[in-house]
Amino acid sequence: MYPMKAPFSAYLDGIAPALRKISDALGETYDYVSILSTDSVGFSIGMSQRKKSVNNETLTTERGTVVRVYRNGLYSEYAFNELDPSDPSAAVREIRTALDAQLALLKATDTQVFDTAALPDEPLQLRVEKETGRLPENEDMEALVSFLSNLSDRGMAEVEGAVECSVRGSSTHISKLFLTKNRDLRQSYVQSEGAIAVMAPNAAGEMKMAYKGVSGLGGPEIFDGLTDVLEQLPKMMKDLLRAEKIVPGEYEIITDPGITGLIAHEAFGHGVEMDMFVKERALGADYIGKRVGSENVTMHEGALCAESVTAYAFDDEGTLAGDVVEIDRGILRAGISDALSALRLGTEPTGNGKRQNFAHKAYARMTNTMFDSGTDSLDDMIASVSHGYLLSGSESGMEDPKHWGIQCIISRGYEIRDGKLTGKVVSPVIMTGYVPDLLGNISMRSADRVVEGNGACGKGYKEWVKVADGGPYLKTKARLG
Amino acid sequence: MMFETVKRQLAKLGCTMYELTEVSVTAWEFYFIRHKLDQNRTVKTRTIEAKLYRLSEDGQTLGSASGSISPTASEEEIGKKLENLYYQASFVKNPVYMLTDRPVPAIASERVDVSAIAENFLCAMQAVPETATERINSYEVFVREISKTFENSNGVTYSVTYPDSMIEVVVNASKDGHEIELYRNFTSGVCDAEKLTRDVQSALRFGRDRLIAQPTPKLGKADVIFSSADAVELYKYFAARTNAELLVMKLSDWMPGKQAAAYTTGDRISVFAAAKLENSSKSFPVDAEGALIRERYLIRDGVAENIWGNRQMCRYLGEESSNVYNFVVSGGTATEEELHSGDYLELVEFSDFQVDVIGGDLMGEIRLGYWHHDGKTDVITGGSVSGQMQDVIPSMRCSKETEQYDTAVIPKETRLYGLSITGIV
Repeated sequence: MYPMKAPFSAYLDGIAPALRKISDALGETYDYVSILSTDSVGFSIGMSQRKKSVNNETLTTERGTVVRVYRNGLYSEYAFNELDPSDPSAAVREIRTALDAQLALLKATDTQVFDTAALPDEPLQLRVEKETGRLPENEDMEALVSFLSNLSDRGMAEVEGAVECSVRGSSTHISKLFLTKNRDLRQSYVQSEGAIAVMAPNAAGEMKMAYKGVSGLGGPEIFDGLTDVLEQLPKMMKDLLRAEKIVPGEYEIITDPGITGLIAHEAFGHGVEMDMFVKERALGADYIGKRVGSENVTMHEGALCAESVTAYAFDDEGTLAGDVVEIDRGILRAGISDALSALRLGTEPTGNGKRQNFAHKAYARMTNTMFDSGTDSLDDMIASVSHGYLLSGSESGMEDPKHWGIQCIISRGYEIRDGKLTGKVVSPVIMTGYVPDLLGNISMRSADRVVEGNGACGKGYKEWVKVADGGPYLKTKARLG
Repeated sequence: MMFETVKRQLAKLGCTMYELTEVSVTAWEFYFIRHKLDQNRTVKTRTIEAKLYRLSEDGQTLGSASGSISPTASEEEIGKKLENLYYQASFVKNPVYMLTDRPVPAIASERVDVSAIAENFLCAMQAVPETATERINSYEVFVREISKTFENSNGVTYSVTYPDSMIEVVVNASKDGHEIELYRNFTSGVCDAEKLTRDVQSALRFGRDRLIAQPTPKLGKADVIFSSADAVELYKYFAARTNAELLVMKLSDWMPGKQAAAYTTGDRISVFAAAKLENSSKSFPVDAEGALIRERYLIRDGVAENIWGNRQMCRYLGEESSNVYNFVVSGGTATEEELHSGDYLELVEFSDFQVDVIGGDLMGEIRLGYWHHDGKTDVITGGSVSGQMQDVIPSMRCSKETEQYDTAVIPKETRLYGLSITGIV
């Protein structure tokens, strides 16, 4: 087990009394006040043959504060990163002045307000310091740079035809403080991820990339897993270099856990983010209690579902982390929500209110999104396919919550004919379809389950946050092109 | 003030090569559900980005490490942070290159009134004509004033202030109880109300068409016309292929003199790097490393002419550095009649149209298209389009007319021949 706890930020502990004074002062004129303050440190390293870089920033490093206030049915926020703890009244004046200026514009433009009630403020005190093996701020950076650089060298030597091998690793020690009149929540944890990408041209001169990553709740010790990743890349590249173009059509497919996770994320991840329900942008709102998949489909979502890169104790609105059963044996049961959406819909918040960082708005966002495992073996699943593909290598996806369309871009498809892998590989593959059809056709699922959390997820084309997803191997049908 | 503190600490460390950039952002944000305000936000931040360099004793390698310094950091914290960066730079060994040393002429500062720009956005959105069946679902307005002050150890310094705006718009169209939505994300310098209104109205029209769309037929192969913002991805491929980093990494071979493809009947396009573009969200004459943006052709008449990129990568290729934030594509020769001849699929909406600038694969799920065949037009949806840039460039045709999408000016219409279409029926 991990040998140490990630300590909560001394800086945040230090400014907490000043933040409390700001909250109290604003509370005299606003009906609800919350403050989220963050102090997260980390690094990202990139090592390739021709470029080496070290940056002391990651997607989730930040130091700043966002104040949310409520009055006359309207929520307003002020985000800032300059604070003199000895003069909290200056911050109060600045916040009032800035928000009043916006209200003046709203009045001048005769803007109507989406009238909302005040958030509840149940008393709660919490201090969580999650375990980690190492801390990014204490890491022996020289040794780590050498380790990652060596992996890049090995990738060049071991992968046939490689013209470049890029290795990256990032680690962030996150600390967040959430205050309201009745709440004082403090949490700290470390998240890390790394990946190796090898590039080589095929016979036609088209550049192919073999890519795989590792991630998890923990410090730079996560990067040890990159050694195993490297061993998988030579075969992956061989497959890519001999890959053919797929003949477009509908096929039986088996998805590896990475693709399974991509489907979970795009199908009923974005589709049940309940701020989309408030805007009437999601078909899911009309399907609660109705069948959206086969009996083989059970899906969970929540920061408590797995100890991944997104396993926090409370979200960015001070709601405790949850574990929501979104789909239970094919029936859509619930969505995931931020605090304001839940208030507007008359439901309970699920701990999914997340911000890209303190300077960004909170939205309903995913954490861990995953299918439950089954009892089938992968061999039996392959044996059951008459003509189709085993899909592997998640690249990207896009949701369509209003119409339940789905797009997944996949690195490789391994042909299966008459229950056997033929050795033929196709690449790249674009999988499209109608979500209820895709989930409704899930007929088998393997006993294992993998959770992956590399990269970031956007809402539309912005608001990037860490998420994780996964599940077992699944058998279904889809349109491939 | 912070600059001076940082420089004082750098002197203590003996660090003689560095780049410092102070970035101040004031943002006004408004979030709407229909036309009712969901939330208003103000953001005010200031950060110093520091990149410290360290030359090896033999002068053969140059290391660097970068990081941000919070305005709330004490002088002691700043010193510790810089000390770490300077130490880290000692073992990040890249072949040597030098920081820019050409002085930057004073840049006229732009006055940015976030309140006035925001007001223009709010008024423009409130005035977009809607009907009972075609309406705005929600929108989010972001208006930013960004100020940057740059200084490096060679004494190169500049300050620039510019507007950077974005509006995300979701529209609905409905018929007989069936409702569809379309998503748009417009970026620009300030609010161009006329263009915004036109673009939102266009989205509403596409929404109406999508309601009557039929499943995409299994065409196998088809010629495709791209006539929306997604076409920018096609041209980003051209620009990216001349990027120094891709060339150094051997992920592109479009060195100057290289022809983009074995042309047959296609238009040999040109891609021009522009320092300033009217109402672009990145319209300024200097890059993040203090190098003046050199206006020049990256590709002229289908042949790579110049490379672009950061100082490190350009140096490795023996070129002067200059990044590119705006580009203008020209060279289309096709008339409307030529572009629209025979059978073709016009695709205007995708889930997420992508062009892989390294591998050249292009693909996207079709959300809305028009299948022009046998003298008639069918509105279609579903399925996907895919292809390979190297296969389609030789015969690619482009209109003479152009359209601006924030930082890119591209042909209004682009026709690619023989793309794969995965249909549904």
